[in-house]
Amino acid sequence: MSGIWVISETPKIAWEMLAKARELAGNEVVTAFVVGDYETGMDAISFGADQVLLLEMPANIPWEECRDVILKAGETNKPSLIMVAATRRGKDLAAQLAALLDAPCVSECKSIIKDGENFLTERIVYGGLAVKKMVSNGCLVATIPPGTYHPEKIEGRSGDVKQLKPQGFKMVVRERRPKPATSVNISDANIVVGVGRGFGSKEEIQMAERLADILDGAIGCTRPVAEDLRWLPEECYIGLSGQVVRPALYLCAGVSGQVQHVYGIRDAKTIVAVEKNENAPIIRIADYYILGDLKEVLPALIGAFAKAK
Amino acid sequence: MKKIVACYKWVADEADIRIDEKSRALNFDRVKYKISEYDRNAIEVGNSLKDKYSCEFVAVTCGAQVESSLKDVLSRGPTNVYYINDEILADADGGVTAKVLAGIIKKIGAVDLVICGEGSGDEYGQQVGPRLAALLGYASCTFVTKLDLTDEGLMAERKLEDGIEVVQVQGPAVVTVLPDINTPPIPTLKQILGAKKKPTTKLSLKDIGLSRDACAPKLKNIGVLGTVMERKGICMNIDGLSIQEAAEKLAKRLSADGILG
Ligand SMILES: Cc1cc2nc3c(=O)[nH]c(=O)nc-3n(C[C@H](O)[C@H](O)[C@H](O)COP(=O)(O)OP(=O)(O)OC[C@H]3O[C@@H](n4cnc5c(N)ncnc54)[C@H](O)[C@@H]3O)c2cc1C
Repeated sequence: MSGIWVISETPKIAWEMLAKARELAGNEVVTAFVVGDYETGMDAISFGADQVLLLEMPANIPWEECRDVILKAGETNKPSLIMVAATRRGKDLAAQLAALLDAPCVSECKSIIKDGENFLTERIVYGGLAVKKMVSNGCLVATIPPGTYHPEKIEGRSGDVKQLKPQGFKMVVRERRPKPATSVNISDANIVVGVGRGFGSKEEIQMAERLADILDGAIGCTRPVAEDLRWLPEECYIGLSGQVVRPALYLCAGVSGQVQHVYGIRDAKTIVAVEKNENAPIIRIADYYILGDLKEVLPALIGAFAKAK
Repeated sequence: MKKIVACYKWVADEADIRIDEKSRALNFDRVKYKISEYDRNAIEVGNSLKDKYSCEFVAVTCGAQVESSLKDVLSRGPTNVYYINDEILADADGGVTAKVLAGIIKKIGAVDLVICGEGSGDEYGQQVGPRLAALLGYASCTFVTKLDLTDEGLMAERKLEDGIEVVQVQGPAVVTVLPDINTPPIPTLKQILGAKKKPTTKLSLKDIGLSRDACAPKLKNIGVLGTVMERKGICMNIDGLSIQEAAEKLAKRLSADGILG
């Protein structure tokens, strides 16, 4: 057992993981599995791979069906670490590889440290409430969220690029409907106004929009507001399974402050809550709060902020 | 008649977990357990397919203290629940859980469709579904928001980062579902009473041919630390201040903190 594998459907996340793989590998071989042509393969080498296996997927087959051909590459030498991009497809593939290699899989791994023969890893559990540290021995599979590491191009590297031809598929794609491009970008807003289920109707969100206008901020929301009620686009929801924001001010109303949501606002400099229930968890994590009905409080805030500016 | 299995995990309700501010240790004293939210979606998918195509539909679980979950799950539609309750599973990781569930599903036999939640409410490792698929030799069809059966298998809509992918599977499959696939109803009194009359099937690790060694997790937990935030916690409308006055006080505060431009 030796070497590190890096597996990604997109080159960019492969490059990020290659930076870390290179650091962990020492003299061991780093193998990259990527989709693309010879050029893509050479790129992966300059970002840290020693050899590249290009996955040539038929257009109507989901990428993660490359499972068997990847396993086959490991028949003669099982790697000590397999890093897979933590996209939805990547997580599916990683878990299947782990099952068939009888290996542990650390999902959305936040850090990996090599400690002799062991790997120490960290990930978030209980909806963002805690960080769990683990140690593993033997082949480890880890999925790595995009953006975790910085890609580093190294001049003058060389290596082998080979083609793999995956086969034996169980799923066929009948249709693909790309997500429409949106202009919503709340992750670098300086002020975010958060909308929760405490808003009684879609119309009431206008109050939050007025407030955001005055503060020159962006609108964010909780998951149910986007996914269940569909009052705001999915790109707006903040939390564990949504966006992470780091504004100077997060001002929210009608947000109870469940752990999964709080995960996405942890790094806000100041948190302000408008909430009618003084026992709601958001009260415990707010810097300032006003207890009351948002239908009354928001118009008052709009007036007060307009005056203060 | 097609045979459908929904898997579920009995988890600590994360909303009841408290963090000790000093030691950052997690306190589970007041914690209640529940069927993981995502798995409720999975159970409801199985339930509605059962009604639509008169399939056979049962639930499967495993863990160290899952017996308290049986009535709850049976009130949500399945006609039986197959389970393994064993202390050794208290430390189970996704790998061990998948092995045990796969063993139970093989024991049930000739299962056409396994439905799991996308991840669990506690660990959210998002791996048990695809692991099961690999161990059973089934297709792995993950992150599904729409699902229907066909004569030979199924059609599903998967929600991925860049859009929707409609896939067709011929043969048996493990499907993991996203919460937007349905809204699981709260069981009615009639369903809760009806659950008491339904059978349960208790199995042991021996029954599914799994050694105790195979149930040792490969990931050793070396510590869980709660995340804490330092916050001011100041109420703006105490001492009988009106909402209007509180709003103005807040605006002044934020200006003084240099946050309002
Ligand atoms: C695995 C998992 C992942 C999740 N990921 C996310 C995520 O990424 N992001 C996310 O947001 N959620 C996520 N959730 C859901 C999360 O657990 C909560 O259900 C959700 O955040 C609650 O949204 P909310 O605060 O808008 O609604 P609620 O919890 O219903 O809160 C509404 C609040 O509004 C208050 N209120 C009601 N009326 C008024 C009024 N008139 N004036 C003032 N206050 C009022 C109520 O007192 C209450 O506190 C996830 C859940 C799970 C299980």
